[in-house]
Amino acid sequence: MYAPPIQRLIAELSRLPGIGQRTAQRLAFHILRESDEDATALAAAIREVKEKIGTCEICFNLAEGPRCRICLDDRRDPKVICVVEEFGDIIPMERTHEFHGRYHVLGGALSPIDGVDPEDIRLAELYRRVTGDEVTEVVIATNPTTTGEATALHIADELHHVAPDVTVTRLASGLPVGGDLEYADEVTLGRAFAGRRRL
Amino acid sequence: MRVRRLRAREFRTYARLDVALGTGLTVVHGRNGAGKTNLLEALYFGCTGRSCRTSNEREVVRFGAQATHVDLDLCDADGVEHTLSVGFEPGEPKRLKADGAEVERLLDVPARPLVSVFLPDRLELVKGPPSLRRAHLDQVIAAAWPARAQTRRAYGQAVAQRNALLARIRTGRASRASLPAWDAEVARHGVSLRDHRAEACALLADPYAQAAEDLGLSGTSVLRYRPRTDAPDAAALAAELAERVDGDLDRGFTGHGPHRDEIVLQRDGRELRAYGSQGEQRMGLLALLLAEREALAEARGALPLLLLDDVMSELDPVRRAKLALRLDGPGQSVITTTDLAHVPGADAGSVCRIAVRDGAALVEPGGGGGMRFRRVPRPLGTAVEALTAELAPLTGLASVQRAWPDAVGPAIAAQAEPVAEQGGEVTVRCRSAVWAQEVELMGPALVAALNASIGTERVRSLRCTAGAGRPGDRRNR
Repeated sequence: MYAPPIQRLIAELSRLPGIGQRTAQRLAFHILRESDEDATALAAAIREVKEKIGTCEICFNLAEGPRCRICLDDRRDPKVICVVEEFGDIIPMERTHEFHGRYHVLGGALSPIDGVDPEDIRLAELYRRVTGDEVTEVVIATNPTTTGEATALHIADELHHVAPDVTVTRLASGLPVGGDLEYADEVTLGRAFAGRRRL
Repeated sequence: MRVRRLRAREFRTYARLDVALGTGLTVVHGRNGAGKTNLLEALYFGCTGRSCRTSNEREVVRFGAQATHVDLDLCDADGVEHTLSVGFEPGEPKRLKADGAEVERLLDVPARPLVSVFLPDRLELVKGPPSLRRAHLDQVIAAAWPARAQTRRAYGQAVAQRNALLARIRTGRASRASLPAWDAEVARHGVSLRDHRAEACALLADPYAQAAEDLGLSGTSVLRYRPRTDAPDAAALAAELAERVDGDLDRGFTGHGPHRDEIVLQRDGRELRAYGSQGEQRMGLLALLLAEREALAEARGALPLLLLDDVMSELDPVRRAKLALRLDGPGQSVITTTDLAHVPGADAGSVCRIAVRDGAALVEPGGGGGMRFRRVPRPLGTAVEALTAELAPLTGLASVQRAWPDAVGPAIAAQAEPVAEQGGEVTVRCRSAVWAQEVELMGPALVAALNASIGTERVRSLRCTAGAGRPGDRRNR
């Protein structure tokens, strides 16, 4: 229907998450209408991010260079490690400004159905970090899903063996702050109820 | 929550269906193949967005039609009205609406009436494998305590993951290292699933025994939960799983846990499943449904809508009477039968009767339906008009009027009468706007019935007017 270059652009754009055929078409037309500079800037940005951004050699967060900004920051407490599934999970944690330790990105969660075994996520690297450094606590912040919970249990189990002195903790789950009880779903509310504390 | 009115388009054999249900018992009667069960199915479809008869939902769309539509008018305990609507076109996602707003699942809608349904092929529930009873019990749990539906889902996911891991270990593609984590995850959900089931069974046990006795199932009837594990907590269940891991690895799947539970229905210590006669199994199923109804009433404070398909035909008169007595209580129920005489008390004033014939359903007069209607004394003018029309030479109108009461049945004849005819279009004057709408909705079926009565294809369409419109007065269109 369109000239092959446009068709190719639409096809490439529609592979992006959350972008359907129609949106891809709209974006493609937008790029066509844009000035040359704007369009090349977009292309250059994409190229640059792929060339310059890699993963941190310590925590596997995104990094410009061998180490990420968090691992390079001396003010961060190296004694506490927070374990997350994906690097996208770091951003919300950082926004809390509550956590001053460092991270470890697993790159997934255990899921035998999808063929993800302990060797397929960065567990060995985690154990090496925990045993090597002066780590005192590992906070497991995997998602509260079946796979996330099993991953958390597995990590806790292994850590008790390889580093018995390290405290292993898990994020609590319960009600969102500022939320209304009225709008809480049953499962969350049930969890919150089970984890209620004495005042 | 009460269903007041059911409307459906292009559902199974119905081109259009529009009936009001009674506040208590509604009896749907008609000969075999008339569409009684289809009406029940439409009700179920409207309440849940699913079919109770088939997993291939294409079948519910009328042959040759594109899509089907079911609308329910509901009325809650405070008298507030609600609507549910399900639109379904095969191959497309269903369009589910509650009170006019689109929703993803009807199960989450607070206005949704709970339904329990008896179909002859559901006898499998009593005599089939335990998996059916487990799934059924879990549905009851989900209906009674919606928050608990998640437990079964999570348990299922955890077991599926563990099974996948077992298979990978077996073929040497994975190590046993992460097995304890999955044992713990399976155990965590498994223990709560078992506790939920135990609680549900405890709630069902007494009503079941009582219902079975009421229905005349001789001997002592017992409903009992037989869990696979009696581990006191998740850690103990995880240990049990770990103990059996070699067997699991041999089989390639998890052989222990609540997914192997059984819910036992017994009569005098013997399982109905193996030793019950067809009739006894039938009574057992009925007792189970009635017990659930009571349990749900207790847990949720609402009596579910009970749909009973062709349940009377295989009962003896004594048991029919006993069942009828139970249905006479509070709560709404719909029962189908080929013969009104099979439902004791069907002629009572409080019972709504729906006659089904050839893809049309008509509410009969005198019933306790959502719309009560009776013969209202007619003004003399109308009577004379009708009389002169009848005395005049047999015009098109006269022949239609002659055929009218037989063709449409007494219920409609009492509310609507043909007053004019022009080129095949018959003007029907109705007592109220509601009835004008009713008759218009039933139009095609009535036209067919009229033509069949008259013997020619004289009538092509109906035009309905409400109130005191004069014949040929088109302002009421």
